[in-house]
Amino acid sequence: MQYALLIYENEDLYRTGEGRALDDIIAAHQALAGELAARGILKGGSGLKTADTATTVRKTGGQHALHDGPYAEAREQLGGFYLVEVPDLDAALAIARRVPLAGDGAVEVRPVIDED
Amino acid sequence: MGALEGVAREAGGRIVAALAATFRDLDLAEEAFAEACARAAAVWPSAPPLDPAAWLYATARRQALDMIRKRNVRQRLAPDAPEPEATTEEVLASDARLIPDERLRLIFVCCHPAVAPEARAALTLRLVCGLTVQEIARAFLIGEPAMFQRLTRAKRKIAEAGVSFEVPGPEAWPERVEAVLSTLEVAYARAHEDAAGASAHAGYAREMLDLTAVLADLLPEEPECLAFAALVRFAEARRPARLDAEGAMIPLSEQDPALWRRPLIRDGDALLRRAARLNRPGPRQLRAALHAAWSLRRSRAEPPPWSAILALYDQLLDWREDPFVRLNRAVALAEVAGPAAALAEVAALDTAKLADFQPYHAVRADLLARLGRRDAARAAYDRAIDLAPGPAERLWLLRKRSEL
Repeated sequence: MQYALLIYENEDLYRTGEGRALDDIIAAHQALAGELAARGILKGGSGLKTADTATTVRKTGGQHALHDGPYAEAREQLGGFYLVEVPDLDAALAIARRVPLAGDGAVEVRPVIDED
Repeated sequence: MGALEGVAREAGGRIVAALAATFRDLDLAEEAFAEACARAAAVWPSAPPLDPAAWLYATARRQALDMIRKRNVRQRLAPDAPEPEATTEEVLASDARLIPDERLRLIFVCCHPAVAPEARAALTLRLVCGLTVQEIARAFLIGEPAMFQRLTRAKRKIAEAGVSFEVPGPEAWPERVEAVLSTLEVAYARAHEDAAGASAHAGYAREMLDLTAVLADLLPEEPECLAFAALVRFAEARRPARLDAEGAMIPLSEQDPALWRRPLIRDGDALLRRAARLNRPGPRQLRAALHAAWSLRRSRAEPPPWSAILALYDQLLDWREDPFVRLNRAVALAEVAGPAAALAEVAALDTAKLADFQPYHAVRADLLARLGRRDAARAAYDRAIDLAPGPAERLWLLRKRSEL
């Protein structure tokens, strides 16, 4: 099964340097992604630019409106994702536990719809 | 029909678990088992099987394969090659041990941390113990549609999220075993708190003895698991002594120990000793020790072990500060230090948490009555009765109130 691991973090930690240093985190992501790719598990994924670069297209009552900013005004924002292929949820959760985070944060594990 | 019902209840958990483990589909397992029961009702009266459980399993398994084949055809996919099937004759020639005990695996699936905590116990009771949605809804004091929805959502989560049907490796046990034990504790508490034990409760109390035996067998190095198995044995040992002739509950300290089932107590003692030898103390071992302390009593002539009980509750509080533990401790304190000291303790409890907890009002009422504060006691009994306890508890509360 394929799972998206969606990484939610407080971006301020990267700006203020309160959490782990940005370089450390990037190196840790590269190490994890490299290992998952070598094992044939990694199917895709990317980091995302900070939420202040986001634009949301919202549809309300048939009308589209643009909104400067992310969909949810939360402290923790979607910062990147991995797409992995593993046998079951437990294997996906095991990888989710290893996803580097600068401080507190969350990794949401969502099964991807099977197109077959 | 009665025979079928008995077999279905007794073997249903094992059969559904085996089917779920094979096909990794909870709904399919349940539907196939229901279909097998329907066939049994039609066929058994004229041709009773030698081994009813094995018959149900073989029929349900065939039914499940059939359903998968139909589903595949409907999806216009090439049907999978059918698995080699045992004929009914082959099954009949063998014995009940044919049904592998997959219940532990199914318990781990139902109690997976990814399943909503409030659904875990209900799902376990449904799939592993074979309780009906109506019975579970009644046990959890929620409406049947709400319970149905809760179960449906949990099953969907398991299927769609791809929860594994394997027993997890030992590295995952601390988290998983905790979830499994707390789930089974909730389930057992429901079975146990109603002394009258409606037939369904008696049924799953029996299942709980089996399940904890399976758990203790498969996880022999988990002391809390052994302790929980012990606790269920101690508590079930007292079942014959819990009701009087009129059907009112008898409090533990007034029960006749001669009626307690000694073999179960011996099993409980052995399990608890095994847990103790592992030298990793925990709250469930203390809870089981509380039951064990009571079980030492042989007759009504022997005084109840109140000071030992009080000391054990003190130790339990070291594990977790809990108003429910404090309330039970107050009952022992009343016997050791008198009702006034106990009432002071009860008064200091977090009433917000206990306001709808029937035993809280019952304990308060008893303490107030012993201190001669009749009006306050009557009000507390009224509140306890309002909270709709089981029939045996209700009868006992009404009697205590009329004695004021």
